[in-house]
Formats: sequence, structure tokens, C-alpha cells
Amino acid sequence: MLKYTVRRLIESLIMVLIIVSVTFVLMRMLPTDMYFTEEQMMKLNDQQKEEQLEAAGLLDPIPTQLFRFYRQLLHLDFGESRRIQTGVPVLKVIESKFTVSMRLGLISMAISLVIGVLLGLVQAQYKNKIPDHIGTVYTVFVNSVPSLVSYSLVLVFCAHVLSLPSLYSTRNVGKSSIPPLICLSLASIAHYALWTRRYMVDESTKDYIRLARVKGMKSSDIMRKHVLKNAFVPLAQYIPASLLLTVGGSMLVERFFSVPGMGTLMIDAINRYDTNVVQACVFIYAGLGILGVFLGDILMMLLDPRIKLVGGGSGR
Amino acid sequence: MKNNRIRFLSILLAMLLALTACGGSNGGSGNSSDGGNSGGGTTADAPAPSNGGEPIKDIILWETSGTRELEEFFILHTEQAKDLNVLTNAYSPLLELSPPSELGPAVATKWDTPDNGLTWNFELRDDVTWVDVNGNEKAKCTAQDWITSMEWILNYAKNGTNNTSMLRAMVAGAEEYFQYTKALTETEGEEAAKALKSDNAEFQKVGVKAPDDTHLTYTCVKPCPYFETLCTSAALYPVSQAEIDEKTVDGMVGMTNLDMWYNGPYTITEYINNNTKTLTKNPAYWDKDCSLFDTVTIVMIESGTTDDSLYETGEVDFTELNIANLDAILKDPSDERNDYLVETQIKKYSYQFQLNFNKKNEDGTLDTNWNTAVANENFRQALLCGVNLKNFWERTNRINPLGIENLCFTMKGLLKFSDGRDYTDRVIELMEYPDSNGDLPRRFDEAKGIEYRDKAKEELTAKGVTFPIQMDYYIKAGSATGLDNATVLKECVEGTLGSDFINLNIKTYVNSQTQEVTAPGLHSITGSGWGADYGDVENFHDQIVYGSDNAYYANSYTYINECQDPEVIALFQEFTDKVNEAKAIVDDLDARYEAFAQAEAFLLQHALTWPEYYENTWQLTKINDYTKINALYGIQNYTYKNWETSTEAYTAEDYARFAAEANG
Repeated sequence: MLKYTVRRLIESLIMVLIIVSVTFVLMRMLPTDMYFTEEQMMKLNDQQKEEQLEAAGLLDPIPTQLFRFYRQLLHLDFGESRRIQTGVPVLKVIESKFTVSMRLGLISMAISLVIGVLLGLVQAQYKNKIPDHIGTVYTVFVNSVPSLVSYSLVLVFCAHVLSLPSLYSTRNVGKSSIPPLICLSLASIAHYALWTRRYMVDESTKDYIRLARVKGMKSSDIMRKHVLKNAFVPLAQYIPASLLLTVGGSMLVERFFSVPGMGTLMIDAINRYDTNVVQACVFIYAGLGILGVFLGDILMMLLDPRIKLVGGGSGR
Repeated sequence: MKNNRIRFLSILLAMLLALTACGGSNGGSGNSSDGGNSGGGTTADAPAPSNGGEPIKDIILWETSGTRELEEFFILHTEQAKDLNVLTNAYSPLLELSPPSELGPAVATKWDTPDNGLTWNFELRDDVTWVDVNGNEKAKCTAQDWITSMEWILNYAKNGTNNTSMLRAMVAGAEEYFQYTKALTETEGEEAAKALKSDNAEFQKVGVKAPDDTHLTYTCVKPCPYFETLCTSAALYPVSQAEIDEKTVDGMVGMTNLDMWYNGPYTITEYINNNTKTLTKNPAYWDKDCSLFDTVTIVMIESGTTDDSLYETGEVDFTELNIANLDAILKDPSDERNDYLVETQIKKYSYQFQLNFNKKNEDGTLDTNWNTAVANENFRQALLCGVNLKNFWERTNRINPLGIENLCFTMKGLLKFSDGRDYTDRVIELMEYPDSNGDLPRRFDEAKGIEYRDKAKEELTAKGVTFPIQMDYYIKAGSATGLDNATVLKECVEGTLGSDFINLNIKTYVNSQTQEVTAPGLHSITGSGWGADYGDVENFHDQIVYGSDNAYYANSYTYINECQDPEVIALFQEFTDKVNEAKAIVDDLDARYEAFAQAEAFLLQHALTWPEYYENTWQLTKINDYTKINALYGIQNYTYKNWETSTEAYTAEDYARFAAEANG
């Protein structure tokens, strides 16, 4: 186990390094005019643009810039933002957004897990009956209607019927978080319900369940003690990754409700060519993604002793 | 083992719940101040609105988050409108504008030029103070702060090239000092140049002096009769040396709203990126006679369509209506919002369709068919007077499209002759355009357009041009609005002139028009707006003159300097000569403006540019726009000072009255 963990960690570090290096080189290969806004392009002549690039060290050879970046990375220093918040250290820019996305993401995940798994459980228990049909209609609706349409419906309902704020506000975090939380949870609830139902229905047709029924176990005990427990294993694999990636926020929801989170940061940084912020975001997302998969594997192994991650036997 | 698993799951669940509950009641994402100003009544009461409502004390405005979010707080370092529109409220200038566009005293109470604009003397008030975000006094604001500011801007190691161009061109010794600091940076390193202060010997040669705390003198390279208008640009705003010493040179550019110093009407007490900015009345502000809001909140929204619903729910105090919502209101006469539809003021940009005289194909070869066509004056005249753009303007101004007709190159309202006549009226007079008949654009003349087209066809056929001439027009890929606008433009262009004469091809770029289209010169025409940096026509004309490295339009859109057609070059050379003659007149402003008007009329008479439109729209609002600054130059239009507002929305009738009052 320890050997496996160390090996995976080393592999993960190498993978993150490759990802950030490739991103760094690709971004430096883009035309340097991308560093300037259309407004600056109008105001600055070629000499002035070159002077600005030179002052920022962006005209140095790419390997020089790359090794400078590695040196900074060793100290977890991503430099300063060039465009999102000019001159402010990148980590400070990210820190302020990180907490907002994480809070909303975690609450939404908790809501989704509880409601989604419960809904799936009820659907499985009442398969092909009215509760199952209601759950299926919900799942189909959420997955088939474009997100912006369902968000607009939520917004209209919250603003006009419930008199909630249309935009997220730090002065009224509680109320103004409700619409984005609903939107964030809509799809996740459907996701958890769909897969919980599916895995539970699969499990409930297996021989050991039939045996339990024949032995006279109560249906509710069978569902709780055997079916749900086993059905939850494949779902659990993705929970750590989902948990960690909540800090990434949701670009659509955050933009729609003006939530000052991480969701829009990377897109904004790419659009504005704020290379330092892009590098930091890529580093964080890559690191969290890899860590999430790793933790998911460990969690599955803990939940189901039959699963082995190393050696032969019944490894995945 | 079973117990262990239960324990693990319990811990996991507990962690999840703990994390879920860890959020406090405050957003925590922003950097809002813990103090905040009292917003006490240190200034005059807001003017009582004339529509029966109460003045708004805490106004809520909006901006779109994708493109309009503030990026930095140091006014000397930024050149972007989205920053300056906010920062103009945090700093006080020497001179400021009052509605609509009158230059008047601010920190400087008196100013004059004894020698036709070569030297400019300013006398400053002595009661201006720098404060922190909570309104606590930090230092006196004196004439020395403008000296420090000049040194900062011209010091290459401190400010790069930001905001240097106008100072280097206009102020005596500025270019030399900039080059000195640049050389010093390269030879001795950045730190040596950053250590320089305004008392260094080299800076003493720059044409800015402060004999005492309340007197300031600028000396120009040559007479600049318009230098006073430069006081409204960021390049002539102050900074305190004490603030630089407090933060260090490196700390200035990355400063935030919480640690910056203020001497303007507001302090920025809250800044949450892509969410909210809150400006709070500065209790130490020197102008006790003005009216300010207690707070100005600017919320960032996803798109320009969200504001309509926010206005309906009372979450913002104005909305600019998108076409769909405006149409919905107009189609339903019973909709009470019809009574509240009012037109925004025209913005400060003069939009032109720039003609590309050296167009290239996507493979990099010259598009000789287009280049030959556009070099033909009859072809250009056919576009200028044979295309009815009314339907195209309706895409911008649904109700009053003719109100945004642009007949000139320079923005209307920028300058006036001494008799009060607008500069552009003189250009229009020279162009002999008829008065508006209320139905068709003044420039549109179908018969003439067809006559020019037929002549062009004959001449161009002889030169081997093939018809229809392909005119490439680029829009952003995926932009439904852009496609709708371009489709209407295509109909306008091909309407009178015929699709057998000209085809407007709608093409797309992915991300950057500059990178993908105009820099490689793929466009036949492109729409672009220019707003003046200072109050002189030369700032417009300098963008399109021949043979200048700094002429933005010439080097980025028209590519006249790469054009091979001698006739077109001769025309642009003649225009440039006329502009230079006008620029040389510094002792008689009327004569100067007349000379510029003659040059601009020449440009238009030969159809070397194609005026597109002015920009405005329709809105529902609780703000009287006629009490806002609406200057055609400088950064002060977004100063939230002396605005008349009302808790009740203004009606069209109210606005008609305001317009009548404004027009005398």
C-alpha cells in the first residue's frame, strides 16, 4: 500500500510538471500582440509594445523563461497577475476566489449527495412506479434542457416569486447563495440519482439478494445493508475528485450569478492572456484532478476489500 | 475491519459536514474594508429631482464582467478605460469637466498661458488632502505631487511606457528624461532607475516646476493651445511621494483599494473581482459644494441583457435595453414602460468604416481586385453616398436611427469656434450636405450613388477589375448580434449599388480581430471608433495621416503607407499637408479649427474614409443623464458627482424637458 502510494505520488508529480511545462511553452509560442488589449493596440506603437514586453521579461528565450518559472514554482511563487488584477501576486488573486467557489461547491455537493442518493434509492425501491417515473422525468429534464435555460428559470422563480437577489452578494451571502446553489445542485442531483438507481437495480437482481429474500430478510434491510452498500462503491470512486474540484467552481453558474469564484478565472485569464494566472490555474486543476483520482482509488479499496490496487488477483 | 470502515465513513461524512458549514456569513472573497466611511454630510445635498421622487443616496450601477472589470488601481500606470472610469472618482485632477463638457477649476483654481500655449501656469488650492480608504488623512496634496507624478510616468523602470506618449510629445525635456531612465535601466539595472526621485539633476531639465506648494508650471516643446485639456487625462493626475515611500516603488502597481491613497470624491471601500465595487463618499473631499452619493455600488453582470431583469426587480438603477426587449415594449402600446423609454447621450467615439487600401488575401497575396477598386474615387464615392445605412443604424438605435448619423471624421461636440458653432457643423457646411428630411440619411443620394457606381464600373472594367467586387467584412464567430448587424449591413451595401456590382462577404474571426484580421490586413472595411485623448482635432487627424509611425488608423486599418496607388497616396499626402498647416496655427484657435475643417472636408470629399455612426441606445433610468459629464475627451465622464437622480424612474417627458433645457 505504501509502495503504491509513493509510486502514484511520484507519477502524479511528474504528470503535473509535464502539464504545466507544456502549457507554459504553448502560451509562450502565441504571438506577443496577445499580451495587449485592443485598446493598447490602438494607443501603443511597435516600439512601445516591445519596450513593455522587454520590461516584463517576455522577450527572453523560452528556455530562459521556463527555468525562471521552475525556480519560482519551487517556492510556490506564480508571479504577479498581468491583467486580472495587475501587479497583485497570483496566489492572492486565487485565494480570494478559492474560498467562494469551495464553499458553494461543498454545500452544493452535500445537497446533491444527500438528495441524489435518496432519490435514486427511492426510485430503485419503487422501480417502474410513480416515484421512479417522477425521478426519471426530473433526470431527463435536467439533462436535456440547456443549462442556461434551466438557470434562467431558476433565476426568474427566485427573483420574482421568492424575492431573492438575482446576483450573488457578499453583503447578503445567505440569501444570494440560494439561486446559484440550486443551479449547481440541479445536475448533480440528477447524476447521483441516475447512477444510484442504476447500480441499485443491478445489485438487487443478483443472486445473493435473492438468497437474502428467500431467507426472509426484510426488504428495507436488504436495500440498506446490502444493495445500497454495494451500489455505492462505484459512485464513491468519484467523490474525492468531485470534492476537490469544487474549488474549480462552475464557469456557467458563477458567470450567470456574478459569483466571484474560480469558475471564470481561468477562462478570463486565457482571454486576457494573463499567463501567470493561467499557469497557476493549470497547476492547481491538474494537481487536484490527479489527487482526486488517486484518493478515489484508495476510497474504493477501503470500501470494498475485494479490490486490490497492487499485485495480481482481483485488481481493477 | 467492519468497524474501521464505519469509522472511516463517519469521519468522511463529518469532514464533509464540517467543510460545508465552514463558510462564514461574510463572502470573504473580496477585500472589503473593515472600517468604511461614514458618508457624513460633508458635501451639498443632492439636487431634488423634478419628477416627484426623492434623490437616490445609494446608487447601484452595473458593468459587464467579461470586458469591463477593473484590473488595477494605480491611475498613472493604467491606460484602460475600464480602470480609469472607476479611478477618476478616487483622484482629483488639476482641472475637471462639468456637464456637459465645460472645462473648469478643480485642484487648480486659476490657470493661464502667457505665450500662446508654450507655458502653462496653474494656481492650486491649499485644502486638498490625501486620505486612506477609511478617510483618515495621510498627507497634504500639493503641487509637488504633480512633479512626482511626472517623474513616475517618465521613468521607464517605474512605469514602462504607460501614459508616456502625450507627455513625451508635448512636455519639454520629457522625451529626453524617458530615454535617460531607459538607458539607465539597461546599463545600471532597474533598481538604479527606480531609486530616482524628482529632485535628480536630469529630471530638473523636464518642463515642469513647482516653485511652492500651490503653484505649478508646465513648459511645452512647442506651443500647445490645447494643453489644458490634457489635465483631464490620466497622465496629468497626481501621486504623493509619501505614498510611494510607504509602499515602495514595486508596491505601487500592485496596490489595492485598501492601501491606496485618495484625494477624489470617493474612496473604494469594497472591491470584489467580477462581483462588486463600492465607492463611498470621501468625507475629506475638498469640494464642499458638490453633491455626492453616500455610496455608489457597481455590480458586475454576465451580459448586457441581464441588466433589464435587474432593473425590473429594482436591483440596479438603470438599464440599457437590448433590441429584443425594446421591440417587445414597442410592440405593446399598453406596456407602461413605453412612457419611460429615454435615449442615452451619444458616447464620445466617432465610428468610421476604415477602407483598406492594401488588402491581402488569406494566403498573404495582395487582393488586387479590391485594392484597384478602392483606389478608384468613384467607387469610394458610390459607397459614401450610395449606401443607405439607416437600417444598419437601427441595429444600434431602434427608435431614432437618423439621430446617430455620423457625417464627419472628428467627433461632434469636441470643439467649438469662438462664436459657439460646433467644429463638425463647419465640416458639414463645407461638405454641403442637405438638412435632414427626417426619413433618409443626409449623406444618402441614390441618384448620385448610381451615377458614381456606373462611372466606377466603366473605369474599373478598363483596369481589369472583375465584378461583383468582393468586400470582406469580419465579425466575431458565434456572435448572433454581430451576424445580424453584418447581414443588415450587407443588405444596405448591396441595396442601391446592386449585388452584381459589389458583394459584402461576412467572414469570421475566432478571438481577436486585431490578431486574426486587421494585423494581417484581410479586411476590406472594418468599423472602428476613436475617442479623443485631449481636446484638439489633431488627436483625430493624427490617426489617419500619411507617413506617420504613430497614426493608428493608417498603420492598422487603412494601410495607406503600404498602398502603391499614386493617386491615393497623393490625396493622403495632400490631406496630411493640410493637417500639418492647421497644427502650425497656435495663436488663433478659430483659424486653427477652420484649417482643420478644410483638411477634414478634403478627406471626406475624396471619400478617403466612410463615417459609420455615433453610439447611443435606449434605456429605462432613474438618472438624469444631462447632469452627467459627457465630455468628448479625457477620463472624467464616469465621475459620480452632481448627478441628479430620482427614486422614481424618469419619463420620456422628463427627458424631453431636460434636453430642451440643455439645448438652451
